[in-house]
Amino acid sequence: MIDLLVVGGGPAGLVAARVAAECGREVLLVERDPAIGLPVRCGEGVGSKGLEEFLDPQNGAAPWISRRITRVEFRSPSGAVVRVGHGDVGYVLDRSRFEPVLAEQAVAGGASIRVGAEVTGLERDGAIWVARINGDERVRARIVIGADGVESMVGRWAGIDTRVRAKDMESCAQVLLDDVDVDPETIVLHFGREIAPGGYAWIFPKGPRSANVGLGVVALRARRNAMAYLDDYIGTAFPTGRRGSRTVGGVVVQTTVRSSVADGVMLCGDAAHMINPLSGAGIVNAMKAGRLAAETAVEAIAEGDTSARRLGAYHDRWMHVLGHDHERFYRVKEALGKFDDQFFDSLACSVNAIPEDKRTLRRIFYAALFQQPALLPVIFRYFA
Amino acid sequence: MNRPAPRATQIAIVDAAVCDECGLCMPLCPPGAITMHRAGLAIDAVTCTGCRKCIDPCPVGALAMVER
Repeated sequence: MIDLLVVGGGPAGLVAARVAAECGREVLLVERDPAIGLPVRCGEGVGSKGLEEFLDPQNGAAPWISRRITRVEFRSPSGAVVRVGHGDVGYVLDRSRFEPVLAEQAVAGGASIRVGAEVTGLERDGAIWVARINGDERVRARIVIGADGVESMVGRWAGIDTRVRAKDMESCAQVLLDDVDVDPETIVLHFGREIAPGGYAWIFPKGPRSANVGLGVVALRARRNAMAYLDDYIGTAFPTGRRGSRTVGGVVVQTTVRSSVADGVMLCGDAAHMINPLSGAGIVNAMKAGRLAAETAVEAIAEGDTSARRLGAYHDRWMHVLGHDHERFYRVKEALGKFDDQFFDSLACSVNAIPEDKRTLRRIFYAALFQQPALLPVIFRYFA
Repeated sequence: MNRPAPRATQIAIVDAAVCDECGLCMPLCPPGAITMHRAGLAIDAVTCTGCRKCIDPCPVGALAMVER
């Protein structure tokens, strides 16, 4: 029997496996796909501060980084441009290399990793979980960490409600475009009902002339599927761009599941809806959750109590670190969703009235509120 | 008296040639009728209630309703 079975080899699972193994626990991580890091199903943008808690980006020179980002550009529906940030904004990762580095660290810490290993069932045997791997093989573990993504089955098997309402699901599509004119240090977020209803389009540079170009839509507000919206957007914004690999996926823009634990089970990352519901960002959240889950698992095993009650400490810690912030962001998202394109166009004008080097979030908030009293309910919901 | 729920007249099906296996539809399915396997996405025709919640969100339009 092993101490910890981690299901899923993304950022959440790999960090959880490393942290628990470094504490001397016997850890097995299983990944369904034949390789760690592939396929990439992600825009790959990440903030510098959160990332640096886990890996050193070497100011952008690390081989798992595609671009260092110094600026964010918001485009309003009519095309008005608002630029924010100078200096350290973040990075666009190369996740096909990023996850393998996390995996190396986990293995160096003492964890075992198996790829091409799919958990096909999970059953309780007393205080132990018995996982079926690839149909007939069985692994017994004291604790199972479900880091198995938006499609989480671990949560379902453990009786955790991971269902999502349609209004809280962003349907995303992305194409890697080559031969395009992009600012290689700027990420672009483009809003508008015709471009990406309920979400936004993004341009994340991957190289001097290449970028992840994608968008997310909320199906209830959309007339077509996400890929159809993306085809239109690329046709308008990058008519001569050369299309490389394409990917699609779901981003849950909700708050954390009500309980991310069950007896002997903890859910991390996308599996527990630990995504910033305003931005759709989830990589750093997933790593932070993986670390918290592993720390709680190590304590619980040492105490010989892996009950849901004991593991609930993980959920509480997560809510304290980020979960409650996500609840505030969710209220803002709901409030902003009531405004139309015209509102965002005039908001862009208000923000542009602030000198670029003075655009802190607080100043934007106040200036925007001063000129857009309609924002009051948004700010009220943020602090409510 | 317990009567079985009336069976849906329409159910969801997946076009495996179009499906990208992203798993987006799985948490949207109220009865959990959608599962992922090595062979691809599977929708359990017995569990599916025909609610349509999975149809429009599919980013590539791989899901459709058919008469049972």
